[in-house]
Amino acid sequence: MGRYAIRRLLQLIPVLLGTTFLINYMVWQLPGDPFAARCGQRPCPDAYINAMRAEFGLDQPIIVQYWHFLKNLLTGDLGVNFNNVSVASQLAESWPITVRLGLMAVAIEAVIGIVAGVLSGLKRGGFLDNVITISTLILLSLPVFVTGFLLQWLLGVQLDLIKPTVSDGAPFVELIVPAFVLASLNLAFTARLTRTSIIENRRSDYVRTAIAKGLSNRRVVGVHLLRNSLIPALTFIGTEVGSLMSGAIITEGIYNINGIGGLLWRAVNDHDFTIVVPIASLLVLVYLLANLLVDLLYGVLDPRIRYE
Amino acid sequence: MSEPTAAPAAPASAGKPRSLWQDTWDILKHRKIFWISFALLIMFLVMAAFPSLFTSKSPEYATLAKSMEPPSSDAWFGYDLQGRDVFARTIYGARTSIIVGVLATVGTVLLGGVVGVIAAYRGRWLDSLLSRIGEIFLGVPYVLGAIIILGSVAPVQSNPGKTMIMTVVIVVLAVLGWPVLARIARSAVIQAKHQDYVQAARALGAGPFRIVFKHLLPNSLAPILVYATITVGSYIGAEATLSLLGIGLRTPVISWGIAIADHTRYIRTGAHAMLFPAAFLSLCVLTFVMLGEAVRDALDPKLR
Amino acid sequence: MTEVLPESKSSNGTYGGALLEVDNLHVEFHTRAGVAKAVNGVTYSVNAGETLAVLGESGSGKSVTAQTIMGILDMPPGKIANGEIRFRGTDLLKLPEEERRKVRGEGIAMIFQDALSALNPVFPVGWQIAEMFRIHRGMSRADAKKKAIELMDRVRIPAAKERVSDYPHQFSGGMRQRIMIAMSIALDPEVLIADEPTTALDVTVQAQIMELLAELQRESNMGLILITHDLGVVADVADKIAVMYGGRIVENAEVHDLYRNPAHPYAKGLLESIPRVDLKGQELYAIKGMPPNLLDMPTGCAFHPRCPYRQEKCVTDVPPLHTISGTRGSACHFWREVLDGDAQ
Repeated sequence: MGRYAIRRLLQLIPVLLGTTFLINYMVWQLPGDPFAARCGQRPCPDAYINAMRAEFGLDQPIIVQYWHFLKNLLTGDLGVNFNNVSVASQLAESWPITVRLGLMAVAIEAVIGIVAGVLSGLKRGGFLDNVITISTLILLSLPVFVTGFLLQWLLGVQLDLIKPTVSDGAPFVELIVPAFVLASLNLAFTARLTRTSIIENRRSDYVRTAIAKGLSNRRVVGVHLLRNSLIPALTFIGTEVGSLMSGAIITEGIYNINGIGGLLWRAVNDHDFTIVVPIASLLVLVYLLANLLVDLLYGVLDPRIRYE
Repeated sequence: MSEPTAAPAAPASAGKPRSLWQDTWDILKHRKIFWISFALLIMFLVMAAFPSLFTSKSPEYATLAKSMEPPSSDAWFGYDLQGRDVFARTIYGARTSIIVGVLATVGTVLLGGVVGVIAAYRGRWLDSLLSRIGEIFLGVPYVLGAIIILGSVAPVQSNPGKTMIMTVVIVVLAVLGWPVLARIARSAVIQAKHQDYVQAARALGAGPFRIVFKHLLPNSLAPILVYATITVGSYIGAEATLSLLGIGLRTPVISWGIAIADHTRYIRTGAHAMLFPAAFLSLCVLTFVMLGEAVRDALDPKLR
Repeated sequence: MTEVLPESKSSNGTYGGALLEVDNLHVEFHTRAGVAKAVNGVTYSVNAGETLAVLGESGSGKSVTAQTIMGILDMPPGKIANGEIRFRGTDLLKLPEEERRKVRGEGIAMIFQDALSALNPVFPVGWQIAEMFRIHRGMSRADAKKKAIELMDRVRIPAAKERVSDYPHQFSGGMRQRIMIAMSIALDPEVLIADEPTTALDVTVQAQIMELLAELQRESNMGLILITHDLGVVADVADKIAVMYGGRIVENAEVHDLYRNPAHPYAKGLLESIPRVDLKGQELYAIKGMPPNLLDMPTGCAFHPRCPYRQEKCVTDVPPLHTISGTRGSACHFWREVLDGDAQ
């Protein structure tokens, strides 16, 4: 297992390199000048553009630029943005908030998703199952920002239960609704995955054996059935951590949270991409590490998986 | 073991052999959810093709004096910030959303399908290479990738033409979405490749094109079709998300996403200008998701 | 050979009847295509130390009957329409679930055909055996584990101590079935139901498993219900036999009586389709036709479409279980002709 983990970790390197290169390429090399929109509706003076290009090294070949990026990344120097603010300090400020929001979302999707899935799978075709199936279908169909605005309007404006926007410092209580919004899509998927595997495993031979052993219904379901049925749901939750974090840009935008999503949102609006590359690289790293972790965890959850 | 009907069923249904599609149809036609989503689909398609059937008002005509007026018998959905009829704009918005959703899906299916089939059919190093490339694209989170590409190609403050921006959005969605489809196509083809009849066709000297088009593709069709239907729905949602971020479609295009984006700041004073397009958007996404799921459930006997 | 007496020879309990009795059991499956009558008035019994073989092809209702005894039938679609299952005189079907649960494992235990799928893939085998002691006997983890190792030794799993923490997929098919057996005999049940215990195994391993079962039965004086479709397995170990067809018992007999001279055309057909060394070179007999469709049973005798003894009466009248002698019975209008051996 240790060797497998190391090998997988080494395999991450080319993917990480490829992804960050792709991001660099897309940000700096695609048609459309990255500085063209810096001067409002008027075209920027050529002198300004040339100066900026030189400052950010865009006059050099892409490989050289990428090499500089990697070197700076490894030395922890993330550079400054167009307005000379340190990218690293911006990240240090906003990253913890997004992590908090992300963790809360993961907790919400895991708890609510799994409980709903188990309940609906156990009482298949019952009233509760129908309610849960329809709710997950609706959650799947509502784009995240619609859920976000809807809850903001309903709970924040109409019912006055929450603050429509999150205050500075993002206290725990105020993050609950945004975290739910961020989790909503994955929550629905988790519930459905759990439901399907409960239904499938419920008829499995080992569950029948467990009943034949004279175990109580609670133990049959709570130990034998649940342990097997949680594997796909937990795997899903883990692999989706990365995209969950990047989905935070919308949620943070709606609720005005100062996480990396908010940072990104403002950077995009200012057309300042200096911060987009490090954030994107960071999120990709989270995504890849989460996937690796899930892979390793999978072997713990399901002893049939062998690492070679 | 507990299904005693399984073993003796053969003599009862000794009629003509039934195809997968016939079976699926037999199940589908008894499903309420299928008919509901089908009816909604027709409604949205008609709305996209002939918006004037639904409203006689112009989506462009603006009376600033009526800005943000709430719904009334005169204008069912009220007026937006510019004083335009929200109902008319919502109806006309269907066309853009559906065109973007459908074309982006077609692009995804073509791109992903071709890559998946080639990877599975050729195998070996090409398969691993294409799979790695797919992984790299999957590694870039969706929203982030779209922000990066669209932000570079069509910056927030720029005013690209209507066709131009729609094309860009469609291409971006397809470019970021193909790996999932490539995986589906790849595994379907690999499964089919080892079937006896495909081996037989190969042994008989059928060329790669013939094998792919005559034998492998028809087999992969069902999972791809299901995924594509659901994808149309999620792309419609994604398009709106991008519009909301200001990097997707933008005025003068009429779309649900733009309508929502334009009025997010007025959620306290006039939520109607946002809620109605949001409702249509959600219903449209729901339609495609429901339809895809109904077909998938009918195709997969295990979940019945 | 065990003598079949109406009174119990069981030492434990004062009840005079058999240890386990299935009485006129009817089980139906309600499916979209209609009602399938899987079990139609099955009656059999087993005493302590006795082995009853229930023989039949798939769909004959033999497994459904066993599942109903265990209370592990999927309901719905299954439904018990009629009948009683008496364990030491108490009708299990009328017991509340909590009481019923105590009978499982303690009173009646069951082993299944495919041990790989019947054992939980994510728990170590020792844990799964130990669970019996922990739940039913309230033992501590350590004590239960010790017991589990003892049991694994008893069913002759080599290096039981080292393998107690292994998972089911790490064992061979035969070893897995031994673990299944160890788990089922953990609490010394009075009746053990073995549902095709050797079907999924290699021939050589089959014999070892049957031997093990017979030995365990001798040691603990269990009643054993052996469900199988394989007449070859039955001969050495069973005392009596119940042949099932289309959800009914078509012949009840002492095992040697049936082998010597079957009284039902289906049992006869089964016997004749066993390859025999002394008849080498001759064409092997095969029963013509298909097993009955449970959703659309033939009228009269369910076996009539495939029966060489068929008369008009067979198409119209359901044959009752005729008593031939003592406990022997045959559900054939023409059992005398079958016994005499002249078809048509």
